[in-house]
Amino acid sequence: MLRFRYAIAVLLLIGCCLLHAQESSSAEAAEVAALAQQVKALQQETQELRERIKALEANQTSTVPAAPVSDSQKTQGPPVPAEPVSEQLPPRFDEPRGIQWKGFGEADYKVLNQRLPELGSYGFVPGSSGNFYSGDFDLFLHAQMNSKSSVLADLAFEETDAQKYKLDPRQVLLKYDLNDHLRMSFGRFQTSIGYYNWAFRSAAWLQTTADRPLVMEYASNGGILPTQGIGVSTTGSIPSGAIGLHYIAEYGSSDTMRPDLNGDGIINDENNGNFFNLGLYIGPDAIPGLRIGGSFYHDQISDLLILTDPSVPPPASTLSPSTRFNQSIVNAHVVYISRGVEFLNEGFLIRHSVVGGSVVFDTAAFYSQISKKFGRIRPFMRYQYVNASDRNPIFDDVGLRAGPSFGAAYDFNSYITFKAQLDHTQRSGLSDLNGLHLQAAFVF
Amino acid sequence: MPMTAKLTLAAPLIAILFCCCANAQVHADVAVTVNADNPVNALTLTDLRKIFMGEKRNWPGGAPIKLVLRAPGTHERIVLMKLLRMSENDFKQHWVAQMIRGEASGEPVVVPSVGMQREALITFPAAITMVDAAELKPGMKVLRIDGRLPGEPEYSLY
Repeated sequence: MLRFRYAIAVLLLIGCCLLHAQESSSAEAAEVAALAQQVKALQQETQELRERIKALEANQTSTVPAAPVSDSQKTQGPPVPAEPVSEQLPPRFDEPRGIQWKGFGEADYKVLNQRLPELGSYGFVPGSSGNFYSGDFDLFLHAQMNSKSSVLADLAFEETDAQKYKLDPRQVLLKYDLNDHLRMSFGRFQTSIGYYNWAFRSAAWLQTTADRPLVMEYASNGGILPTQGIGVSTTGSIPSGAIGLHYIAEYGSSDTMRPDLNGDGIINDENNGNFFNLGLYIGPDAIPGLRIGGSFYHDQISDLLILTDPSVPPPASTLSPSTRFNQSIVNAHVVYISRGVEFLNEGFLIRHSVVGGSVVFDTAAFYSQISKKFGRIRPFMRYQYVNASDRNPIFDDVGLRAGPSFGAAYDFNSYITFKAQLDHTQRSGLSDLNGLHLQAAFVF
Repeated sequence: MPMTAKLTLAAPLIAILFCCCANAQVHADVAVTVNADNPVNALTLTDLRKIFMGEKRNWPGGAPIKLVLRAPGTHERIVLMKLLRMSENDFKQHWVAQMIRGEASGEPVVVPSVGMQREALITFPAAITMVDAAELKPGMKVLRIDGRLPGEPEYSLY
């Protein structure tokens, strides 16, 4: 009896297994049928694509010239039939059309150990030693018209007194790049006096330090160089082998207006003539990242003063509103940027000589800045020096200003950088100035 | 030998083999490729550096060079950063600076696959891109770098 029960149990088990196997095989059959249908659909799609390719090939009017046979091609294995390239590019590779935008901004807090403005710029509130300000908000526009022509603009919304903003188109350029040896720009550009003005433009995010060196500060913020000009700027490489020689040639009008550094409300209207600026630099192949160069700038300017506050008397050193000066600026720079190291060194000699007279004023200036990136942090140190004669009517507000800056920049991510900077400035005839500058700079 | 002892011996061997394979993959050469119609056959390492820094912007003949890159983190991108001696952040900053100086019309095109690199080379006759030599596709013209092709002794891009 027991054997009989076992036999029934075994038979039931075999029956279940067979039933399951049958179910499985029917499921597999359904899957195979579905796959066969998919294969048919794919075959049909392939056939349609082949027909479209044939139609496109038939429509192509121009033929692609045969590629020259080269050693490198021999490495590629058997030749493959040339693929037809449709006239309409795939959208993901389409050349950018219209206007491309890039934005830069900054939010700053600066505190000084005095309650007088320095550099006469941004959101300084008289009577307070520390202030927040938003610096420059830049919209950078670029439009490629064809492979050689483009338009470029850098619109800076610059904070002035009492949280008012002015629009300063720092660059508005029609560009034409013939080849690597001749690239031309027409319009308003940043003069290529030295390296800094060329390299960093208006974007605080690109700079390691929280501010520009005084000698390279924008003239509209009290800087002492003509940082902007309207005219033509050409640049390019000169065939020179491993030396990597390049030239810069600029001609135009600067018409610089520069407020006094101490914010006394006096504006120097230089009423420039037409300037020329010639520069050469090398970037030797043997040391990638090294650039050594110099430039010579010449213009004629006046010492015309505009008094925004009539109650403020003009400085005693003013010769006359119409005195004309020859202004010559010689620059030399050595820059190394590679392997996370940034080493910037620039020296300037600015000469003002009265036209038709023998009076000459020389102003020497330099800055040296070094930084090294460690992960996301880049500590930096800078020393700057500007020494203008007190009798120089153009730079009577400048005098001697020299001192170090220390700090660090921290890349929060690829778009936001925080900077902290301590400044100590010695000034002739004034007490030393100490400052703390905090900045969040961003790109979008 | 008991089964557990066999497994204990086999596990480290498998791990070593895996590490060797992974290492070999990391050190695969990276080929510099252009459109098949590009007449250029060879570049120096210095030229290549200048091209990817945007300092050399035209092919001989004047056609503007179009840079096509792989995404950050890929082997090709790591080799490129090594060539340029830059971090990803520095590279991004460099190209933004190039744009606002008017030295470049835009940042280089970034594609996610070798197939798209090949498509880009076909689409842009003046394009140049770096491809893992093990993943070369038909239609990609490989350039000699300092006279050497990927796989040859002393090839410098790996």
